[in-house]
Amino acid sequence: MRLDLTILAPYLGFLGQGAALTAVICLLSLAGAVVLGMLVAIARTSQTVWIRRLAFIYVDVFRNIPFIVQLFFFYYGLPEIGIYIDAITTGVIALSIAGGAYASDAIRSGILAIDNGILEAAEVSGLSKRVTFTRIVLPIALRTSVRPLGSVLINMILTSSILSTITVNELTGQAKIVASDTFRPFEVYAVLLVVYAALTWLVSIGISRLHKRLNRDLASEAA
Amino acid sequence: MRYGDFTTYDLLLLAQGLGVTVGLFLVTSLIGLVIGVLWGVVRFYRIPLLTPLITFIAELLKNSPVLVQLFLVFFGFPAFFHLNVTPVQAAIVTLSANTAAFIYVIAVSAIESVGREQIDAARAFGLSRWQVLRHVIAPQAAAFSIGPLTALLVNQLQVTSLISVIGVMDLAKIGATLNLRTLKPFIVWAVVGLLYYLTAKLIAAAGARYETRLRRFSEFRGL
Repeated sequence: MRLDLTILAPYLGFLGQGAALTAVICLLSLAGAVVLGMLVAIARTSQTVWIRRLAFIYVDVFRNIPFIVQLFFFYYGLPEIGIYIDAITTGVIALSIAGGAYASDAIRSGILAIDNGILEAAEVSGLSKRVTFTRIVLPIALRTSVRPLGSVLINMILTSSILSTITVNELTGQAKIVASDTFRPFEVYAVLLVVYAALTWLVSIGISRLHKRLNRDLASEAA
Repeated sequence: MRYGDFTTYDLLLLAQGLGVTVGLFLVTSLIGLVIGVLWGVVRFYRIPLLTPLITFIAELLKNSPVLVQLFLVFFGFPAFFHLNVTPVQAAIVTLSANTAAFIYVIAVSAIESVGREQIDAARAFGLSRWQVLRHVIAPQAAAFSIGPLTALLVNQLQVTSLISVIGVMDLAKIGATLNLRTLKPFIVWAVVGLLYYLTAKLIAAAGARYETRLRRFSEFRGL
């Protein structure tokens, strides 16, 4: 009945490895999610109806099905069709696809928030549609959606713990091993809970700073 | 002989799993709603010590993975407090607490959405703090919070799928069982995903319906 955190001391390095893997997975998945989210956001703001509808179905499906079900679908399903990849890659793919659905919403609202005057100015200046999009719309949309994309990242950090169910030894996976090694699950998971909370708190502070820095010239409108 | 084919009994299993998922979802949402609103009321009365404590606990629950919370309750509590915790009990405790943390946030912003001048006016008429809360704030806050509440509940339905990891026979666990027996991951996980999707849509539709009903009373009807 005595809380003794010193038993965790020998395992700090081991847990650190897990945390590093969590960080790598989250960064890779964030990159994947932003790329995918950008494409889907473009599709959702497209003028062609069926492209818009297809993109909506993707977002709707992946937001309304539990991540663990999606993960098992890929983890058990991909080998069935002859694609043999390791659990970490499967996890990153699943996180990217699920995160992409959320990221697309963030970027889409960034695109929709762009002032029509800017688009008209670009048109008048004789810029082609593609150049307007890649040089004007996307940079503004990505910049204003830093904060919502940040909450996608925070969600991703929390969701990545589910990868421990498909044998990926990230932070939660390592903690499971430590818990069964020491027979002190309470200490291990209590510390893990606080570590995750501290981690996401730090990330959210970083995101606020980044958001302020990137949007410093629009301070009056973006606040 | 290996029973690798689907049987009609599997439909019964799926229905059973869906029942467990929906049942636990309803129970934990209800408990979470009661606790979360109570926390919101505590904050409204600005009870010293209790308010910062609740805010701290809510932040901790919101910013850590539900999987780790589940492990803490299911593996940690029995080891530390020498209790017997069944998977279903652990699931109910964890999901209720988690839902409560998110509902607390909604409750706080709903209470704050009611204008200060209304409260001042009500106080000037001699209403007690409780009467203000009950007759002025509660009806408006309820109408305000239905939208975020529906989004939260759709999310919490997906979170319930994590309890399959600690052995509750919910829909996701039934999916894992069927997957192991039939080795047809694509069909099994697609069906399980579809069932979750439809349930989520049902919740969203119910929320939208209820919202229009509540909003009807708050609309300005003319003099």
